[in-house]
Amino acid sequence: MMMQVAMALKPPSFRILRKNPQRFRTSPTRIRYASLSVWASTESLADPPPSLFLGYSTRTDFPILHQEVNGSKLIYLDNAATSQKPSAVLKAIQYYYESYNSNVHRGIHYLSARATEEYELARKKVASFINASDSREIIFTRNATEAINLFALSWGLQNLKQGDEVILTVAEHHSVIAPMLDTAKKTGAVLKYVSLNEDGVPDVNMFKQLMSTKTKLVIVHHVSNMLGSALPIEDVVVWAHDVGAIVLVDACQSVPHMVVDVQKINADFLVASSHKMCGPTGIGFLYGKYHHLSAMPPVLGGGEMVADVFLDHYTYADPPSRFEAGTPAIGEAIGLGAAIDYLSGIGMQRIHDYEVELAKYLYESLGTVPGIRIYGPAPSENVYRAALCSFNVENIHPTDIATFLDQQHGVAIRSGHHCAQPLHRVLDVNASARASLYFYNTREEIDNFIHALNDTVSFFNSFK
Amino acid sequence: MNSSSTITTSTHFHSSSSCTKILRKRYDNYETRHSALKFNAENEKNKFLILSLKSIKNYGFSPKSPSKLHARNPSLPAEVEFERPLETDGLVVADKLQLLVLEFKSLDEPLDRVKRLLHYAAILPPYDESARVAENRVVGCATQVWLEVEMDDLGRMRFRADSDSEISKGFCSCLIWMLDGAKPEEVSEMRAEDLEHVNVGLYVKANSRVNTWQNVLISMQKRTKALVMERGGKNPPLLEPLPSLIVNHGSSAEAQGCLFPTRLVLPELQTFDERQSLMSK
Ligand SMILES: Cc1ncc(COP(=O)(O)O)c(C=O)c1O
Repeated sequence: MMMQVAMALKPPSFRILRKNPQRFRTSPTRIRYASLSVWASTESLADPPPSLFLGYSTRTDFPILHQEVNGSKLIYLDNAATSQKPSAVLKAIQYYYESYNSNVHRGIHYLSARATEEYELARKKVASFINASDSREIIFTRNATEAINLFALSWGLQNLKQGDEVILTVAEHHSVIAPMLDTAKKTGAVLKYVSLNEDGVPDVNMFKQLMSTKTKLVIVHHVSNMLGSALPIEDVVVWAHDVGAIVLVDACQSVPHMVVDVQKINADFLVASSHKMCGPTGIGFLYGKYHHLSAMPPVLGGGEMVADVFLDHYTYADPPSRFEAGTPAIGEAIGLGAAIDYLSGIGMQRIHDYEVELAKYLYESLGTVPGIRIYGPAPSENVYRAALCSFNVENIHPTDIATFLDQQHGVAIRSGHHCAQPLHRVLDVNASARASLYFYNTREEIDNFIHALNDTVSFFNSFK
Repeated sequence: MNSSSTITTSTHFHSSSSCTKILRKRYDNYETRHSALKFNAENEKNKFLILSLKSIKNYGFSPKSPSKLHARNPSLPAEVEFERPLETDGLVVADKLQLLVLEFKSLDEPLDRVKRLLHYAAILPPYDESARVAENRVVGCATQVWLEVEMDDLGRMRFRADSDSEISKGFCSCLIWMLDGAKPEEVSEMRAEDLEHVNVGLYVKANSRVNTWQNVLISMQKRTKALVMERGGKNPPLLEPLPSLIVNHGSSAEAQGCLFPTRLVLPELQTFDERQSLMSK
């Protein structure tokens, strides 16, 4: 048994991109044709492009998706909160603990050398995934939140001063707003918020209006976890650099779903979380241009981050070690590496194209539910919309909707403020429901979700 | 808010049969339109009827005096007897808890538990709109819950609650059915774990940020404790909000044509509003 696992899992030591042989054996003929009838009955798409089959061909890689919840087939639509993990990732983590678990950078023995190699290989995989020029520009953190806090405590406290301005949008996640409020309080910097325009998305023109020589930092999302909208991030970076400000991009909702190229975006910093991109929890990263990182002070002191320690002082190591005090999340980093291999095996462009189609289908289907209000932009040829929809149905609390969908239909969606309370206040609601997709979701699931939602709405309305 | 000194003697309450009738009607509406639902309708109706009679027979409230918490008074005339037949030697709460747990335990289908909660939501006394204020908010719930707590002249605890979610309202209604009119000790003795079987939509016993049961119960208990201490001439506990728990950066930020988050209450700061409400009393 152990032998078998070990053989099946022998990790690719030096190849960064690993094709998933099993998946590519999936020829179009193996696709479940039962699903075709769903298309036929719901719309007149005569010949769906092959990319539309991605959901069916990848589902088999995710054991968790094949279960019943409350007596119904699970429909997992809470991917913006966290994604599921393919077997390849689970096996990579198990293989690490079974065969070479050891501390990194600390032993000359075989296992330690092996663990160190794989841990650093994971860093290289992240770097190449987002096209960073150097893997030393990747700092492993617990998650995106920790990455933002690290940035705020290090770069923020070192560089922001009284009267400096920081630009954010009202659509930021709490993980951006809370650390920046703290930083502003400590430094006297002023936070300026870009608000929504009449289309209900962040007002791009306001960026330009707000930017001045006082602007020192622009810290914004790439794709909004509530609105599903995307900022023209390359333009924002150009405008910011024009006034001498630096930019941190919260790419939590973009890195898992599309090709993100930090050199093309030219952002100074960028953060994301492993758990939203098929990797394990407990690991995320801060990307930073090396000249910024090497000028920044550490936030935590301890092992790994030092160069020399004396009884009265110490010198710290170069990045990335400088920011990774203590034993890191080795197994998790390796799991993230495996997730990146898996995603790259499918191809991020393919994932993106598939999700764009799903996003349109979700938006249009949801629009047919009576009394619904969907937040964010309507997707079109020119307007990008991520494969997620936050919505409210007239006179029914989103938490009641989510509870009923779960209990009665096995549909998992999120309800609440999605860590974006300020945005909800701007939209004048206390909470919303959110269905968020990933490449392993299918049109059939969307159809079933809409059916379940209609049932939910009638159920609660029958109690009115 | 002062401890209630008015003892409401109104006996206006839904009789269990009328309540059940209303619910059955709604329920039938839903049923006929949704024949696909997966449970045995006949069984469900029978169970529903029997259990409802059992569980709501003690449920009394006074919609005529929405701003006053309704108080039970042992010296009331016989007509109110119906409201409190179980009130014997402090067993009230324990008995009610047992009944409620049995009631929900007997419902195997999740849908039935949801329906039962909605039924409880429907019989929760109407809540005064003006009491839907920030000081009364139970923070930490995934939905908005408002709670008012008073102690009457007999030292019994009086509760009123409301929520923008029907399911949360159902939770509140159950809690109030059990704890309204209870002695402070009885309120403090109830444990969130006891309510496990009543839970709808939550499988985790652990304290979850979205566990309405737990948040409302804890809030009831904290405010009860504060009122007891106040009665005893002691300072209520936690009078001062811990400064570290308040995140207010209004001065260092500017709103730009939008609402600005002057106070970002993180979920962990559950007790902030509770403390505020204690201070304002
Ligand atoms: C846009 C955005 N930013 C930041 C975060 C925080 O990610 P994490 O909780 O993994 O640190 C999330 C996740 O919910 C997110 O969607």
